[in-house]
Amino acid sequence: MIPKSAPGPSTPQSEFQIPHSNDMATLQFREALRAAMTEEMERDENIFLIGEEVAEYDGAYKVSKGMLDQFGSDRVIDSPISELGFAGLGIGAAMNGLRPIVEFMTFNFSFVAFDQVINNAPNMRYMSGGQFDVPIVFRGPNGAAGQLAATHSNSTEALYSNFPGLKVVAPSIPDDGKGLLKSAIRDDDPVVFLESELMYGMKDEVSEEADYTIPLGTARVAREGDDVTIVAHSKSYHVALQAADQLAEQGYEAEVIDPRTIKPLDIETIVQSVVKTNRLVVVDESNPFASVASEVTHQVQDRAFDYLDAPILRVTAPDTPAPYAPNLMDEYMPSAEETVDACRRVLYAE
Amino acid sequence: MAIPIEMPKLSDTMEEGVLSAWLVDEGEEVSSGDILAQVETDKATMDLEAFDEGILLKKMIEEGDAVPIGQLIAVIGEEGEDISDILSEHDDGTGAAEEPEPADESSDDAAAQTPDTDAVEEPVGDGQLSDRTPEPVPAGTDAEGRRIKASPLARRIADEHDVDLLQVDGSGPEGRIVRRDVEARIEERERAPEPAQTPQPAMETPSYDLPDDEALYESENISQMRKTIARRLAESKYSSPHFYLTVDIDVERAVELRSELNELAEQQDRAKISFNDLITKACALSLKNHPYVNASYLADEGEIRKHNHVHIGIAVAIDEGLITPVVRNADRKGLTEIARETRELAERARNRDLEPEEFEGATFTTSNLGMFGVEEFTAIINPPNSAILAIGEIRDTPVVEDGEVVPGKRMKVTLSCDHRVVDGALGAQFLDSVRSYLEEPMNLLL
Repeated sequence: MIPKSAPGPSTPQSEFQIPHSNDMATLQFREALRAAMTEEMERDENIFLIGEEVAEYDGAYKVSKGMLDQFGSDRVIDSPISELGFAGLGIGAAMNGLRPIVEFMTFNFSFVAFDQVINNAPNMRYMSGGQFDVPIVFRGPNGAAGQLAATHSNSTEALYSNFPGLKVVAPSIPDDGKGLLKSAIRDDDPVVFLESELMYGMKDEVSEEADYTIPLGTARVAREGDDVTIVAHSKSYHVALQAADQLAEQGYEAEVIDPRTIKPLDIETIVQSVVKTNRLVVVDESNPFASVASEVTHQVQDRAFDYLDAPILRVTAPDTPAPYAPNLMDEYMPSAEETVDACRRVLYAE
Repeated sequence: MAIPIEMPKLSDTMEEGVLSAWLVDEGEEVSSGDILAQVETDKATMDLEAFDEGILLKKMIEEGDAVPIGQLIAVIGEEGEDISDILSEHDDGTGAAEEPEPADESSDDAAAQTPDTDAVEEPVGDGQLSDRTPEPVPAGTDAEGRRIKASPLARRIADEHDVDLLQVDGSGPEGRIVRRDVEARIEERERAPEPAQTPQPAMETPSYDLPDDEALYESENISQMRKTIARRLAESKYSSPHFYLTVDIDVERAVELRSELNELAEQQDRAKISFNDLITKACALSLKNHPYVNASYLADEGEIRKHNHVHIGIAVAIDEGLITPVVRNADRKGLTEIARETRELAERARNRDLEPEEFEGATFTTSNLGMFGVEEFTAIINPPNSAILAIGEIRDTPVVEDGEVVPGKRMKVTLSCDHRVVDGALGAQFLDSVRSYLEEPMNLLL
């Protein structure tokens, strides 16, 4: 007999303990990212930062504030508006032993550099028979954020995950941002590191432990529950937590998992959870077709088919360009209410 | 206008048929009345007749495939005709279209979710889908071969706990059976244990070493007939409370009468009468006077059906198993008629050549193992009968008459009764009536 899950006491988000040392500071997301880059650049002089407005202006979103003063203009480099150029420069530098961090002002601008990002960076090691590494990080804000309209709002994680050779990281909390960015910088392969304008100001506890890293490809179980699994990354993770709180009030305990790294994907942690809960809802602010939600859905049904008691549902943006009008934007983005509704449907709640 | 040919229901107990042979090839012309194929049912191999004219455009299944009733097996139509509509109507391989899942409203991804099918299509190298071959009936289909909607988890739990999904009410969308429904059923069963749930002990492999080239066992596929015997008799044994009554009948006179009648039969070139024919007649006359033994307990209809006719089924062993040809209205037939009919039916049964109406509709059954030297045995009631008579051998045995031990002829018969209809006293009265007829056999001739 499969044990029935009796609704137990809920685990409020605030009580969730991140398992690492007590050496913590309260930092904004942007400060956590800055700490990661600063610590790594202090450790390794081959690392440099290049992008539009990263130096004199302290970064379009102030992520690199003060870094020009600390490291000088050889290592914190303002580029012209020329994504294809500075991305290509970064790849060439990486092939020659440096470890660049390339900042895109928004990931929609990475499309200008698409040929470099998807043709050169991920294929170089393979096509050179292992003669070249490309240890490069492409980072910047990704996805919709307030009123930026369709040309600044695409979620690119599924797109970049489609190219073998690229790793794709999309953290949701400052501490993960720091630990994962340090791992991304140290990785000998190209990593696409996705942030969000809406999260830069988010404050939370961040480890100040020396040499603190979080390995790529490890999911975080942010909240435990027996009734339904919710998988969500980046901004959607916060939507999932709100939904989990609302579900707890209704007597359902949701398990919330943040994959943190889209590629490689820690599918095992997700599958283990679904084996326990028998239900899955994926919240993903991308457009739905061939999204991260699609991939998670496929992999889970492949590995845990006999454990599913309901179809896997996803909560995504609609299949349209992002709107500009704020009232439409509210409709466009996945919400906690939609997530609760999807969870209730897979729970067959009356 | 293309015409779909579906697996027909050729007997009342048939759930699936095996297409044993195609008699027409694709592209050949068929007329109404032509035999398209032979279909093996649980009881017999029967002809599949065409009722329409046209070209056999497509065979959907291969020889040897077992498919449920209602599944598309062929399409007839005019040459070159487009049959895609018919194929898509029968797309899920069961002949019953399913409701698509509700689309996920939480995303505006309007791509319709198509219902899943039981037949898995394997992509092949050129990106084309390979021809779909119908799967055998999957578990979790109902008697008409329609898929039962159940979540994968519900199916797995049902399998693990031996729960029949047909017995479970689904509480999900469109009646989908989900985990809680199966668990509720298991709990219900634990509260009121049902029989038939005891697992068979695992086969122990011999502990001694066999030579490598010697197989440990031989396997054979379970035939349609064997499946039906297994299902029906298990149902009978587990759902109807059997009790047994045995009497030892003095058959001296009946044996004498039979030899006299057979002398006459030889002179007049009539069918010889077997002892079993006398028993058939004795049972038929007794049933006439005991309507509750000639009855069926129909739980689903909430009724006991007393039959106004007496049709005696006679169990006949054949190579593939067992079949019960029926002597209809045996109470109104003479011994010669019963003898002739029984012999003919048994012959046809052994050739697997019986028509459904010849083996369906018995109201009572007899089973005779006397010819194998069995003294007495108990038989399992043949549903929906309420009783079955198990007949042992005729024995030469010392008997006591007027204080003297003298040679006698005796035959033990055992009546298995379904206690839901037949109570002990009633069974005993009926058996006493059968005994009286056989001990005073002239009454059989009146």
